[in-house]
Amino acid sequence: MATIHLRNGHVFDPANRVYNKKKDLFIQDGKIVKSLKKKADQIVNCTDKIIMPGAIDLHTHIGGGKVNIARLMLQEFHNNSDRDYDLTADFVPSTLKTGLQYIGMGYTSCFEPALLPMNARQAHSEMADIPFVDKGGYALLGNDDYLLAMIAKGAHQSEINDYVAFILKASQCIGIKVVNAGGINAFKFNQRALDVDEQSIRYKVTPRKIVNVLARAVYELGVPHPLHVHCSNLGVPGNFKSTIETIKAAEGLPIHITHIQFHSYGDNGDRKFSSASAEITEYLNKVPNLTCDVGQIMFGQTVTMSGDSMRQYKNHKHAHPKKWLCMDIECDAGCGVVPFKYKDQSFVNALQWAIGLETFLLAEDAEKIFLTTDHPNGGPFTSYPHLIKLLMDKTFRDDLLDRLAVDIKEHTILKDIKREYTLSEIATMTRSAPAKILGLKNKGSLSVGSDADITVYDKKLNDIEEMFAHPSHVIKDGILVVKNSIVQDYIWGKTQVVKPEYDPSIEKKLDKHFKKFNTIGLSNFAISNDEMSEVIGSDVNENECLRKRIS
Amino acid sequence: MPKISDSIEYKDIVCPFCSLHCDDLELDIIDNKIYVKSDINESCKDKFERNNSTSINTVSPKINSKSQSFDTVVKHSKKLINESNETLIFNSSADVNIARELIVSTSKINGIFDHINSETFLKNIDIYQRKGFMSTSLSEVKNKSDVIVLFSDNILKNYPRLVERVLAPDNSFSVKANKKKIYIIGNKKNNIKQSFKKDGRIEYIDFNIRDTSMLIESLKKKSNKTSIKDNIFNEFLQRINNSKYLTICWATSELIKNVNCYNTISSISEYVISINEKSRAACLPLAGNDGDVSNIQTTGWLTGFPSRIKFTGNYFEYDRDLYHGNNLIESNNIDLVIYVNGISNKKLNLNKKNKNIIIGHPSTKYNIQPDIFIPCGIPGIDYKGLIFRTDNVVTLPLVDIKIPTYRSAQEILRRILN
Repeated sequence: MATIHLRNGHVFDPANRVYNKKKDLFIQDGKIVKSLKKKADQIVNCTDKIIMPGAIDLHTHIGGGKVNIARLMLQEFHNNSDRDYDLTADFVPSTLKTGLQYIGMGYTSCFEPALLPMNARQAHSEMADIPFVDKGGYALLGNDDYLLAMIAKGAHQSEINDYVAFILKASQCIGIKVVNAGGINAFKFNQRALDVDEQSIRYKVTPRKIVNVLARAVYELGVPHPLHVHCSNLGVPGNFKSTIETIKAAEGLPIHITHIQFHSYGDNGDRKFSSASAEITEYLNKVPNLTCDVGQIMFGQTVTMSGDSMRQYKNHKHAHPKKWLCMDIECDAGCGVVPFKYKDQSFVNALQWAIGLETFLLAEDAEKIFLTTDHPNGGPFTSYPHLIKLLMDKTFRDDLLDRLAVDIKEHTILKDIKREYTLSEIATMTRSAPAKILGLKNKGSLSVGSDADITVYDKKLNDIEEMFAHPSHVIKDGILVVKNSIVQDYIWGKTQVVKPEYDPSIEKKLDKHFKKFNTIGLSNFAISNDEMSEVIGSDVNENECLRKRIS
Repeated sequence: MPKISDSIEYKDIVCPFCSLHCDDLELDIIDNKIYVKSDINESCKDKFERNNSTSINTVSPKINSKSQSFDTVVKHSKKLINESNETLIFNSSADVNIARELIVSTSKINGIFDHINSETFLKNIDIYQRKGFMSTSLSEVKNKSDVIVLFSDNILKNYPRLVERVLAPDNSFSVKANKKKIYIIGNKKNNIKQSFKKDGRIEYIDFNIRDTSMLIESLKKKSNKTSIKDNIFNEFLQRINNSKYLTICWATSELIKNVNCYNTISSISEYVISINEKSRAACLPLAGNDGDVSNIQTTGWLTGFPSRIKFTGNYFEYDRDLYHGNNLIESNNIDLVIYVNGISNKKLNLNKKNKNIIIGHPSTKYNIQPDIFIPCGIPGIDYKGLIFRTDNVVTLPLVDIKIPTYRSAQEILRRILN
């Protein structure tokens, strides 16, 4: 493997508290090294360049059944792309295009946040075909009949922990996510809504209880990433109250609220729809162990895809174009795919746009908030450079607010917010903080010994959006894969997982349950490392847990 | 790697042959021969055990029916490919990993790619490309569905274990298994004949499934306009109206014989959507047995389209009409067809006006001799692999249970295209 010398760059490395410092970096055998014994094989003059670790997207829907349904559903949009290598639409790119676009923006790791354990083999196969980047998934729990029955029967937390740990291992995931806790399951029994303290008809279990036991399981198992929570009542005016109640359900344990923009709505004003970003960020700023990603919306056509079949079924009436699909899946979860166009003529959509930006700008600590559009639910990941410009440039932001087709200025405090994100804060929220919260010890940092996943931006470009859209050089696993903004050789990343310990006796119980009620056996449900590598096509990298399991 | 003389017992083996992909099979491998121990339908057993026959294990590569060495066949295949102006790669039955290789192969030769069953499976995709769709999966049907309606004349022949494993199971946790009601609507005589055990939960309704739209319309209007007797119709309607979770199931391969298959499926889908306004209901379309779902999914994530793609340089395009494999063959707009038939041994209908290469299951049948035949191993018997189940959500692992007699389809493709 060629050695690389990045000479004289302006380095932003928040993990090591390095902000805009002139430095040289050396790369050998896929790692950052202190120095090289001889002249590097490749030398990149970084005099006018900004160097950051490779970016990490901790919430992007890039693999699994719902993504493929969307690709096949929305073929009429595929031919509108301007990319000559692949015509799939930016909001439902093929696996090849996903990899090319991510690496082209300097992203080197991406995480699929809704991996159904029963659909894990597909999700991993699909992600294995995404070139360049490392991948990972959060296993969806909290709507599976097995867990709900355990909670209903009053199972001991340690038994639930065993189950959670087994699911992580069997589905080759790095975290646990809960979507509309209990709601997807309740929808299968014809419940149309489920608030945080409402019992499901079938199991008599509340979302609060589900979030609580799962947050506890993740914590006690030492899984680095806190429970990743898609709250109840997504998109419902007034839902900020249930979002705060969901946070409280964790009882101080670490919790990550995802696409919080969709859960920060008030119901004030003539339209009964208002911003509650101030209430939500006040909570975010004061509560320790609480993080979130935003799920910023961008105007234009996209597709919404979610495990939240309860809410997606409700939303199908807003489909644009008028087509959609909802599915109940394997006593495990569900999915709903509804195409949608965010319009700046729409009061609701315009305010959603402002709520997302308010949330970013009111959050005080860039370590607690992450840059996402909930790709593709709020917009495609390719809009990240535009979003970064909105955060870093108040004039640009205000101009766009003024130019919206519908006047929302009385309904948003956006213009009053003077804050502009710094490059250091952007580096934190897209590099060091996601690496830390995912437990990726060798990523998101430019320390000696870290994985050489590095992005080099051209400082001479005056436009920040242009700079973040087209880094001049990207190094992945020590290989220069983008040079002068042109993709070089294809390489294939790994699958990042975590495997906490568990009492193997849970497998006997599960085996019995699977034999009796499921339509596949437990042995064919679980995916081994060998299968990942030899058949699915992605090697596994096992990350350490934070601590030994608390029993 | 086991030796040929080893005797090995396998449990929980996945069957690669029908799209249910049952995964509870127990097998013995003795002297590299497969013996199915599980008490299953004879036709399922036969799909494994027929691979023990000497005739299947001694098929040599052929050029114009004459046995040749593998290297000679590879050389000749390369020649045909080089001479071809327009090559169609026709997925005739494949798992995910063969399907992945087929897309790569088609891009290498700037060819056209299609699946042999695409006309059928596109009918299901059409629904959610044009309007709404509510669907479900096998375990949901097993555990939550209290009323199941299946339109079929011969479903048990094509999916021998569908009833016992999914529709009328011994165990079900949300609905008591003995309270389930299953209506099999179609050729009653045929369906009863195929059923291997009597089950009071199952009711057979004699009906011409070509009139499915009419039955759905009658159910919507609560007024019987069909050939079904009124008392049977009324009881059926009442059951549906009282259901908590209705599943309507069909095999598109059967409905495609209808004059307007799309309208039939669409009427079922719209009926299911209307029920969901107040109760719960879902559709369960059954896929074909030639790796159709694996093809749709794999081609979908690699290209955004389910089939009918042409590669040109660094670029590919989809055209549902222009790159329709069978039409291209029939209209003589293709001069070479490469059939890749990794799992099934069904008969392939070749056209003598174009050159034909088959990379296939050693017992693949054909109407006329192909220019080249290259036997390949079967994923799930000779090689590891991945295969999608009929419901599109579960992918199962295929394992190599015996020492392969033939090269994998992937290896053959790489050899003839490099």
